[in-house]
Amino acid sequence: MTVVFEQSTPALRGKIAIWWVIASEVMIFGGAVGSYIMARAASPGWSAEAAHLSTFMAAINTFVLLTSSMTMAMAFASYQKGDQRGVRRFLLLTILLGLAFLGIKAYEYTSHIMEGAVPWSGSFWSFYYMLTGLHALHVLAGAIVNFILFLAAGRGLSTGYRIEIAGLYWHFVDIVWIFLFPLLYLSY
Amino acid sequence: MTAERVHPNYVAIWVWLVVLMVAGVLATRLPLGKSAVNSLIFAIAAVKAALVALNYMHLRSENWLIYALAIVPVLLVVAMTLVLFPDIVFHH
Amino acid sequence: MSNPPRVAPSPSSVAQAAHGELGFWRTYVFTTDHKTIAKQYLSLGLFMAFVGGYLAYVMRWQLAFPDTSIPGFGFVGPETYNALVTNHGTIMVFFVAMPILLGAFGNFLIPLMIGARDMAFPRLNMLSFWILAVSALLILISFFVPAGGASAGWTGYAPLSARAEYTGVNWGINLWLFAHALEFSSFLIGGVNFLTTAITMRAPGMTFSRLPLVIWQLLTASVIFLLSVGPLIAAAVMLLMDRLLGTSFFVPEGGGDPLLWEHLFWFFGHPEVYVILLPGLGAVLEVLAVFSRKPIFGYRWIIYSTLATGVLSFLVWAHHMFISGMDPRLVMPFSIATILISVPLSLIIFSMILTLWKGSIRLATPMLWALGFIAMFILGGLTGIVNGSAALDIQIHGTHFVVAHFHYTLLSVVIFGGFTGLYFWFPKMFGRMMNEPLGKLHFLLTLLFFNLTFFPMHAVGLAGMPRRIANPLQYEFLKAVQPLNVQITISAIGLIIAQLPFLINFAWSIMAGRKAESNPWEAATLEWTAPSPPPHGNWGEAIPTVYRGPYEYSPPGVREDYLPQDRALAAGSAKERR
Repeated sequence: MTVVFEQSTPALRGKIAIWWVIASEVMIFGGAVGSYIMARAASPGWSAEAAHLSTFMAAINTFVLLTSSMTMAMAFASYQKGDQRGVRRFLLLTILLGLAFLGIKAYEYTSHIMEGAVPWSGSFWSFYYMLTGLHALHVLAGAIVNFILFLAAGRGLSTGYRIEIAGLYWHFVDIVWIFLFPLLYLSY
Repeated sequence: MTAERVHPNYVAIWVWLVVLMVAGVLATRLPLGKSAVNSLIFAIAAVKAALVALNYMHLRSENWLIYALAIVPVLLVVAMTLVLFPDIVFHH
Repeated sequence: MSNPPRVAPSPSSVAQAAHGELGFWRTYVFTTDHKTIAKQYLSLGLFMAFVGGYLAYVMRWQLAFPDTSIPGFGFVGPETYNALVTNHGTIMVFFVAMPILLGAFGNFLIPLMIGARDMAFPRLNMLSFWILAVSALLILISFFVPAGGASAGWTGYAPLSARAEYTGVNWGINLWLFAHALEFSSFLIGGVNFLTTAITMRAPGMTFSRLPLVIWQLLTASVIFLLSVGPLIAAAVMLLMDRLLGTSFFVPEGGGDPLLWEHLFWFFGHPEVYVILLPGLGAVLEVLAVFSRKPIFGYRWIIYSTLATGVLSFLVWAHHMFISGMDPRLVMPFSIATILISVPLSLIIFSMILTLWKGSIRLATPMLWALGFIAMFILGGLTGIVNGSAALDIQIHGTHFVVAHFHYTLLSVVIFGGFTGLYFWFPKMFGRMMNEPLGKLHFLLTLLFFNLTFFPMHAVGLAGMPRRIANPLQYEFLKAVQPLNVQITISAIGLIIAQLPFLINFAWSIMAGRKAESNPWEAATLEWTAPSPPPHGNWGEAIPTVYRGPYEYSPPGVREDYLPQDRALAAGSAKERR
């Protein structure tokens, strides 16, 4: 006879776990961003380099990522209502928006490289590629996870609680970009 | 698990986020001093981040442990950067 | 949506394993059982201890008898010596201390001591071990690539580490960086698992204030690691870019700053030593209670001190950089904070001594190691205060005085604390008792040779012998202390040989030791209520319910001299302490 008692759920465990992961990721990006801020404050002339970036493309990308955060939140809301088609629809939108972000980023990188702005062209570019590269890897990882959840949602909603967990990660990646945008593209 | 939770209006939040993003871009065109513009765009970024965190990440309705996990690392990283400022920025 | 079923979940692998269906590979290799994973970490740690010990042997022989051919190795030039020193440090910290104290102890103890059937994420647990195994493999492979293994110190200071041409080592350091990326990921996943498990899966009645202290230490260590490793991960990415892409994050010629690397490294590097320290401290605390038949003195204050140590550990990192050329205004605050951190740790040591006071001491092998820990850690802690005083550090930074200090503190944790835990929990892990006389011999020999090795090192350091030099005799002023170097080397070899009784004992006892009952030490914590060794799922049908704290030894009004945490008392019986 099994003892019955108040047991934490997989959903709660997953949520606590992902917040610990986010805490450590804040330290990773925080270390990288802090280093950038200090290096930039120490070196004149980075604004001139940054002027080569396309604020327009980055604004589009910011819009893309913000929207993907909304669709991700709506995917979880659909799960809470038991709406399987809604879950799949919103997860798919999130994935496509994430891929769009990566596509635009790839286009940006290509145009910089064609102009001769490569990672070793100078400190600003080193930081630019490091920060956006690290971020893009996180977007890619998130898109892959979302795709796995999308496939699983096709079979049913029993593991749908994982959408909240993946969503928390995805929103964190969005928040990182919310700061990278002004740091790299807008600041003087 | 997942009771029917009253959640924020995600679309309304999205509208605010987009508005703030446009405001941030426009802020760089304003005829203000360098530090004023920088302060403005980062304040806007902080508000956007807070909107995402409180609403999309449901921080509004989470317990104190999750709040701590969200806030403590940020404070730690800010503190670390501040401690390093004299060394890295002014001694280069 | 429906509510979750309100029963204790039983993972399918538990049910399957109970029926012996899993087969060799799923039971011993790709296992998700936390106890087997713990043994995998232990095996990895013990194996890498051989490798690290061998490197130490070669280094010490070179220092004692420079430019001679070292038996079992060959001639050692300066570049080779750099690689030896680098990998000795890296292996001992990341592939011996952490796997044994966190990977093995943490994985084995956390579910058992909190009353859970396994970790919150068993498959992630398995993944974290195998990531570490691949990481260890990369380090071993790095020895055999052209130009050999990493040679920029375990601290990887830039710009030496930032360009292959500065060390002459290319893939050795690249592999070292990839290995670090993997082991950071492994311990991050592990830490998340530990914390989630402890937060959400404690048995009924197991409140945080009834947790055994070793669990508090393991959790604090996990939090410290999770919050400190991030900036170093960022720095490692930047260093890899410097090496592979020719960027100049840390290279002055390209506009970079070597000090940035030092800061980011030590921001992690210092909390890391507390990540290693705390679990060892925890093992000692458990043993002190059991073998004094007394509750731990000052349970609450030890927890506060542990948390204070955790917080303070983030505020002292630049004491590794007093003479690095960093802003002099940073020196005094960091020096003060460093001296301050000795306060909570001293409080814990005092509590340990007060626990022993008027206790009914049983000098079994685990207790000997625990007592040895206290003595050795005090010695190490005292030289910590010397190093932490910036004015003194100007003289001794980068000398063997520092080496003596951190070997006293680290090895008291890893060796004395580690063996405390290993001898204590061996019956639970393997279902057998270890041989007591061999255990005591191991302890005495280790205590003797440990002190013979590292105590004279203080003198050598004060005489000015720098770290990381391959030949002390190239300096006229060091010729006078060379006899000490020779003595240290001979004692170090003695220390290595002194581990033989342990190896023989360990292997023999696993195979043919006396079978252990579930509670051979008469201890009160939950792991001793499970069989030795525990089956899959740790307990049978019912997990324990907890009624009291973990250290009810010699309670009044009870016939035996201890009260297990899970024993329900009849109404009106002896008053509970908490």
